[in-house]
Amino acid sequence: MTDETSLDLSELSARADVSPRTVRYYIQQGLLPEPESRGPGAHYGPEHLDRLNLIRQLQREHLPLAEIRRRIDALSPAEIRRLATQTPKRAPSSASAYIRQVLSDASPRMLARASAEPTSANRSQWERITLAPDVELHIRRPLAREQNRMVERLLEAARAIYKENEP
Amino acid sequence: MTISVRTDRRLIRASALSERYILVSYVAPEAPPRAERLPVNVALVLDRSGSMSGERKFDLAREAVEQSLRMLHSDDHFALVVYNDEVNLLHASSFATPEAKRHALDALRDIGPSGSTDLCAGWMRGCEQIADRLDADGVNRALLLTDGLANQGTRDHETLVRHAGELRNRGIATSTFGVGSDFDERLLRDLAREGGGNFYFIENPTQIPDLLTSELGEALEIVARDVVLRVILPPGANAEPLNSYRHSRSGAELFNQNELRIELGDLVSSQDVRLAVRLEFPEGELGTASRVVLALEGRGIAEARQHIEWTYASTADNDAQSRDLEVDREVASLYAARARAEATEANRHRDFASARRVLERTADHIARYAGNDAELERLIDALHRDTARFAEREMTPLARKAAFFEAEVVAFRRTPEGKARRSPVRESVKPAEPRNGG
Repeated sequence: MTDETSLDLSELSARADVSPRTVRYYIQQGLLPEPESRGPGAHYGPEHLDRLNLIRQLQREHLPLAEIRRRIDALSPAEIRRLATQTPKRAPSSASAYIRQVLSDASPRMLARASAEPTSANRSQWERITLAPDVELHIRRPLAREQNRMVERLLEAARAIYKENEP
Repeated sequence: MTISVRTDRRLIRASALSERYILVSYVAPEAPPRAERLPVNVALVLDRSGSMSGERKFDLAREAVEQSLRMLHSDDHFALVVYNDEVNLLHASSFATPEAKRHALDALRDIGPSGSTDLCAGWMRGCEQIADRLDADGVNRALLLTDGLANQGTRDHETLVRHAGELRNRGIATSTFGVGSDFDERLLRDLAREGGGNFYFIENPTQIPDLLTSELGEALEIVARDVVLRVILPPGANAEPLNSYRHSRSGAELFNQNELRIELGDLVSSQDVRLAVRLEFPEGELGTASRVVLALEGRGIAEARQHIEWTYASTADNDAQSRDLEVDREVASLYAARARAEATEANRHRDFASARRVLERTADHIARYAGNDAELERLIDALHRDTARFAEREMTPLARKAAFFEAEVVAFRRTPEGKARRSPVRESVKPAEPRNGG
């Protein structure tokens, strides 16, 4: 295993699951400190990795980079580490699971009780998600759980792309 | 904060069953300054079906969203969903940054009303967004605004209401806003009641922004969560709340665990809570006391306890005792509200005889203890006059909704517009401007 105290650019980007280009961009934007030395032999420390993990976490929360920088600047390295390594607060699966079940199985038994709509048992529905003012993603729901996860990842990637290209 | 409790009469009958009422009051603590409040996690869910184009309803809803978003900090989460027969997630749940708000409003600007109403799908989509960010300690709430009947997807009353209760148990509350004369007031009321939120009847669409922002404002000022009032009874006694909160009788059969639990839900800053409970006491030994203990508990507040005692006395002493007028008035107004709610239902079925019967019977019952009190006399007159409103012709849907809502706000002790009642002390104590953090 690589020693975590000193990583080169490709190790760091692999660990943080971002492209080397993104790492350079973040350094340029002041979100990450400069590496200890410059050039191909540049070395990055655990603080870089923690910061990258936290940045990604906050990006999933839709925060613009300027806001992320503002928040991270106010934190000590120890606080960054704590936030970067804690698992984000997730919904108790129960609420999500309940809703997923209502939305996707809209079980025929339940619908049967709502009279006068014989075709509704297998009804699917288009959902439109607005990614940007002129861009929409259309999804026909219900989706299987696996498919749903893929769509979530797709959305996350789309958000990251739009964020990255913000002025 | 302390509970205060008073009863209509202090003596109970030694040799017969007694019916007594208690009036329980409590003022919720004041919220910390705005800057320190807990983040909220909300979804705004708007009906965009064709009928929303009437009376500028959708324009006003858009304005309400804009004003609501202005109330959120960048630590809050929000999602925006519009629905007709399709569900459109205009803004997936995110922090309420200026940029996110702009994104949501831009998306909303392009939307116009059309199509039919799949209330369940739209509402569930909003709840799903909340669930993704669910914070067990925070306020998680869907605000659902509609002007029509659910006519697509799941429409079964019982099923929808069950969903509301299940989501409440999993940490997501639902508040509902019914606009105009065409929505199903019983459905929206039940969704809010089971869902742990509030129901609003919006007779005039121009009220949309005020009521939506008021509800959101209340969510921002919640100081206590899942508040329960436990009425701990002596063996053999029975109790029933006169207000409409969700409640349960627990352990009635177990020795020493005879209690009524009334779920008050979330309380907002300085909320003025007042509720009436009807009690039944068994016979008892002359001269001994019977005690009821009240315990109010919830997340975010210290437990408050209070007790009250009655003395078993002779029939003559019971008949001669004085009454607490304040308790009588509150009890009478709750029974009057209940009678009007029943009369509204009877009118819906064109059963005018039943409507008249329930109003007159209630008026007569109040007259038995009204004495010379002018306020109670007015209430009795009003109930008699109400027979013209409920028991002579079929009410218009709008009039029926107004009457339904009128009874509802009394039963939940909210203002006539449906807002939380606050303790008046609050105005004089609270500084006019939020203090500067520096």
